[in-house]
Amino acid sequence: MTTLKRFQYLILAAGLVLTSCSSDDDATQNLTGENNLRIEFDNSVNGDDLLLNSSTYTNSNGEVLTINRFNYIVSNFVLIDTEGNEYTYPKDDSYFVISEEAGLSEITLTNIPAGDYVAVRFGLGVDQEKYLQGAAGQGDFLQLAEETNMMWSWLAGYKFLNFEGTFTSPTVTEATSFQIHMGSHGSSLDNYKELTLELPTNALVSSTLSPIVHLAVDANQILDGNTKIVLSEKAVVMIDEVKSPQIATNAATMFRVDHVHNGENLEH
Amino acid sequence: MKYSIKLALSMVVLSLIFACSKSDDTDYFALDENLEVSIPANFPEMHYDISKNPPTKNGFELGKKLFYDGKLSSNGFISCGFCHEQRFAFTHHGHQFSHGIDDLEGTRNAPAVQNMAFQSQFSWDGGTSHLDLFPIIPITNEVEMGETISNVLTKLQADSEYQRLFASAFEDGSVNNENFFKALSQFMVMMISSNSKYDKYVRNETGGEFSELEKEGLGVFETKCASCHKTDLFTDSAFRNNGLPPYPGINDLGRAAVSGSTADHYKFKVPSLRNVAVTAPYMHDGRFGSLASVLNFYNSGVQDSETLDPILKQNGRLGIALSATEQEALIAFLNTLTDSEYLNDKRFAEY
Repeated sequence: MTTLKRFQYLILAAGLVLTSCSSDDDATQNLTGENNLRIEFDNSVNGDDLLLNSSTYTNSNGEVLTINRFNYIVSNFVLIDTEGNEYTYPKDDSYFVISEEAGLSEITLTNIPAGDYVAVRFGLGVDQEKYLQGAAGQGDFLQLAEETNMMWSWLAGYKFLNFEGTFTSPTVTEATSFQIHMGSHGSSLDNYKELTLELPTNALVSSTLSPIVHLAVDANQILDGNTKIVLSEKAVVMIDEVKSPQIATNAATMFRVDHVHNGENLEH
Repeated sequence: MKYSIKLALSMVVLSLIFACSKSDDTDYFALDENLEVSIPANFPEMHYDISKNPPTKNGFELGKKLFYDGKLSSNGFISCGFCHEQRFAFTHHGHQFSHGIDDLEGTRNAPAVQNMAFQSQFSWDGGTSHLDLFPIIPITNEVEMGETISNVLTKLQADSEYQRLFASAFEDGSVNNENFFKALSQFMVMMISSNSKYDKYVRNETGGEFSELEKEGLGVFETKCASCHKTDLFTDSAFRNNGLPPYPGINDLGRAAVSGSTADHYKFKVPSLRNVAVTAPYMHDGRFGSLASVLNFYNSGVQDSETLDPILKQNGRLGIALSATEQEALIAFLNTLTDSEYLNDKRFAEY
């Protein structure tokens, strides 16, 4: 290739980039290549920052909580574009622990095909299909889960949510420990939940664009969601046929997209 | 001449190195081969999907080494084989409860390890429905092996012998949890007990001649026991409350600990009766020392409760009516379930 020809190509390429930037309407057509998409899980409690072992949080059940642990598993990420096409992130790599105490608050989905994404779908917990893959399906995720207190011993299974601390209430005046461990109950009860979040601003992925989706996660929903889980009634809920599925349903409403950063080499 | 021998030798060595490095960049190791897994003619279908983890000679040997290795526990002494001894059909004979690290004692009797590939639920309460993941339970139980999977792997990764064995057994050769669990499963999948006198009787093989008493016992068994102890595995893998009064001071809720359901209170997995004559003591808490006591219990000791299995509460009577002659015949029959071939099979032996 002569230098001149190269130069011509460069001009052409630059022209294309400029066009794509100036036209918002058909952005998708001009997004090519692949890139990372990061999702930040910003933990909070009813609008306040979630601080472990420090702040107290009062919920509508009249209970005052101090939170010592807030860990959960998110999985099976799917990105949905403007056309309704779905990109399913490879299942084997699609399991993550988010842990306030371990500082695990952001996940990176790699090699995402270029696209104009309007929604993200994911699971809270580990689906039965993954579990029943046995040895082959767990990979190093099993050790990560073990190290972040997300494994049950007697069940040989995953805790999807590990929420612990102390509380007081009008009837329980001494600070009392609470433990909310939620997961599937062996083969008898599946507590895995999937949820879809629409993005307030489309997330653009291309060889040059690598967005960050910033989620606000409200831990208050666990006890104070649609179904009220009153700690004064039962402060340790691990395997409970009635309350565990309610906690799972409540916890699936913790997630909201706060905003999306679009751009290149973003720091936030 | 001397030179050419040297050359030939070095070529052989080179080709060996080449052959190995081509497959997975490790030192020389024993060639692996698939092991044949044959399903006994009188058995139901295998539950374990061996296409996902086909047993091989090296995988099986690795699984066996792991089964007998105390490294899997926090103090380095408690192996799987510690509580699962071959001559007692891999139970902890003479021990009511399983013993673990630091002389700690569990609350349940160690169940037999046999025909695991045919089972769909593991441990007394069905803590897992996948054989591969079962070892997590005893390894991480603080009164059994008291260890974490991560620590076990760290120990194995640091051991050159294990590095070699994992490399010889698995394509990717890594000492990781996937291969660790696969190797243990390969060992357990091969542990098939199917050559008791009873098996030979139902398959019309030599050595399967039943006495009159044994035949009578089989008849009693079929009418009074086989609704739960189903098929030639002698279990339906269901969880049932058989009416044992809760053990004082323990109050083990059984399946309810896994399901969270009050409807599952005091339900435990129906155990297989294979090799039952050598697996005393009996029941999930090992409270009975003899088969005679077990039969006495079913005849006259069953306690009513909200979750008692309806099979044990029929026609206004609790338990199973068993006359003295029926009990004698049943015990004679149960003795035909002992599979000495399995109890003495060198393939599964620690030494």
